[in-house]
Amino acid sequence: MNIGQPKRIIEIEPATLPLPGELEPAAAPVPLPEEPAVEPEPVAPSDG
Amino acid sequence: MGDRAATRVGLGLERLAEPVIAWRTWALTGRRDGSALLLRPVARKARTWRPREVVQASCRASLLHEAPDPACTCGLHGTHTLDILRRTRCPAVLGRVALWGRVIEHEHGFRAQYAYPQRLRLICQFCFWMTTPPGLTPVHVGWFPRDELIPLCERHLRLARRNGMLPRALVPADEVDQHLRDLYAVDALAV
Repeated sequence: MNIGQPKRIIEIEPATLPLPGELEPAAAPVPLPEEPAVEPEPVAPSDG
Repeated sequence: MGDRAATRVGLGLERLAEPVIAWRTWALTGRRDGSALLLRPVARKARTWRPREVVQASCRASLLHEAPDPACTCGLHGTHTLDILRRTRCPAVLGRVALWGRVIEHEHGFRAQYAYPQRLRLICQFCFWMTTPPGLTPVHVGWFPRDELIPLCERHLRLARRNGMLPRALVPADEVDQHLRDLYAVDALAV
């Protein structure tokens, strides 16, 4: 294949680019807030 | 290659941040069921393009220079337009390719240090050779000796058979096309 005479030199950095599928992974799932602690039912003070 | 080397060969030097995108064709090999697909340069002895691996140029003609060298023909080729690719031998896949690292721009294309395909589609090589659009969508992929896979439209499959070009197996082209894009993790070429 004849692509003709050279015209210019281009330097493109970085030397390696990320390939498809090597891009940043999807953000980690946000953890659900913890279930609120069940408050203990009030205990009636014991007599005595 | 730095500024001094560019000056030595009489070419201007430019620095860019984004890869160059160019046209390219490949030959295709695989098993008779359309698996184990592998893009190969249409120049048969050149290095294969493995899925999800950056291709790095090397020069078989000389160990004394890095590829691409301005005074050689080495490097990973891409072209500005489709038309020049219509003269390539046995193209099975047409695509857009990203080129980066050291890239030498020519009148009709580029030679690069690194490359990876960006978009791919199967083509019927006979349509591609003859028509202005990239070619009719192939319907079958023929499996030939040396694991060569050749996509063909209905018309050219009939013509090929009449002329003794007999595939040993046929695989649906849309399946091979999708498998190729999944394997190389690229998008479809919409032309």
